Amino acid sequence: MAAPVAARALRAVPWSRSCVPAALGARRDLHATPACLKTRAARVRVGKGDKPVTYEKAHAPHYIAHRKGWLSLHTGNLAGEAGAAERTVEDVFLRKFLYGTFPGCLANEVVLKRRANLLVVCLVLVQSLAPSKLYFLIGYAETLLSHFYKCPVRLEVQTVPTKVIYKYL
Amino acid sequence: MASVSRPLLAGGGYWAVLSRCGGRGAAYSSVPAVSSRGGKQREASTRRTSRTSQFIKSHAPPRTERMAVDQDWSSVYPTAAAFKPASVPLPIRMGYPVKRGVPLPKEGNLELIKIPNFLHLTPPAIKKHCAALKDFCTEWPSALDSDEKCEKHFPIEIETVDYVSAGTSIRNPKARVVTLRVKLSHLNLDDHAKKKLIKLVGERYCKDTDTLTVTTDRCPLRRQNYDYGIHLLTVLYHESWKTEMWESEKTEEDMEEYIWENSCSQKSALDTLLLIKASENVSNVTKEELLSSEVVKSYRNSVVALKNEGETENNMSQYKESVKKLLNIQALP
Repeated sequence: MAAPVAARALRAVPWSRSCVPAALGARRDLHATPACLKTRAARVRVGKGDKPVTYEKAHAPHYIAHRKGWLSLHTGNLAGEAGAAERTVEDVFLRKFLYGTFPGCLANEVVLKRRANLLVVCLVLVQSLAPSKLYFLIGYAETLLSHFYKCPVRLEVQTVPTKVIYKYL
Repeated sequence: MASVSRPLLAGGGYWAVLSRCGGRGAAYSSVPAVSSRGGKQREASTRRTSRTSQFIKSHAPPRTERMAVDQDWSSVYPTAAAFKPASVPLPIRMGYPVKRGVPLPKEGNLELIKIPNFLHLTPPAIKKHCAALKDFCTEWPSALDSDEKCEKHFPIEIETVDYVSAGTSIRNPKARVVTLRVKLSHLNLDDHAKKKLIKLVGERYCKDTDTLTVTTDRCPLRRQNYDYGIHLLTVLYHESWKTEMWESEKTEEDMEEYIWENSCSQKSALDTLLLIKASENVSNVTKEELLSSEVVKSYRNSVVALKNEGETENNMSQYKESVKKLLNIQALP
């Protein structure tokens, strides 16, 4: 925690690297960005064997396109197409919104599919709410999101009795 | 999340968990999206309105158990939809299995939901689409059965591109580009008009195919670009027929092809012949007589061919013969 704070403080002070004798090959470069931690991203660390994980969480990011599919499908990342950043920002908002709208009900990640301007949100929910409440929340989410994004939004919901466990780590 | 503790409880504690989640005792209608574990544990849904019903939650069995083998599949999946395990009567498993295990079943399988499926496009469904669309289709006109006839009746070709993408907006600014193609042989142009038109359009004319290609994208809408393209074509046509005053100042550098009349080649050839005739003491021969003589004509043709078509074997040998005849030189061994 201290390192980024110190880095930010140092950035404010003009730092000259010319005082370092470059002829000797010694360089004192300043890394002002936070560390990436690529080897720890999206990985559930192995524990005692009592931690249940879903298929999605059990596989690390390098298994995408080998054992995992993509959670969000749109044309923004194709060559010559625009709007990749906008779709990504929308995806982030949608996941946060749905995580809050269905508290404690999401059994797995949200799958987003875009077909022309229709947005299809596929949810897998645990049967923790009464169906009437669930229907209300689905309608609420659909209406609010379509008014917000000015495009038709459809929620396709699937319910399971419990979370589908892949393995215990 | 509170749901973490739930999977650890065995079947007996399941009902207690459900009650803790606060299922109010309202009347439950059979939920179509519910997928239960096999459906053997739950009987058909019962309607209870008393408060004790919050401990008993009944779920209807999945729809797959009531599907006939010869049902109409296009009514189960009429449009593109995500994979619904309770609606697809196939025992599909998907996923990388754990060691000494099998892939995950279809209930709650996110991998099956992620992938696009074509369950709505079975051959009978496509046949129904075609039958529905047939009412809106008209036959191709039988008189236009070859490319030449199409070109003869519709000489101007308009090319536009539509773009489909996924996003909140269906608009794409690249879709406003309109390309207009027309062969100059279909336009009513005389020699001067054709040369002037080619000079006016510059690079947009292709000599090999005799096609004028005009691409417009300066207007924001496709219709506006199309109108502008047609307007350009009209203006070009009418302007090329007009002859401006300054066109008479066309010099030899502006000419598209070599014209032998009034060129220095003609002058030098005539001067040479006159000198030859004078040295032979022949009576006055007029320029017109010389011009209309065979040797001069063949010389003219060979020079024009050389300048316009470039140097080929044929052209060079023709030039050699015509010069020999003009200057009356015998063939060298």
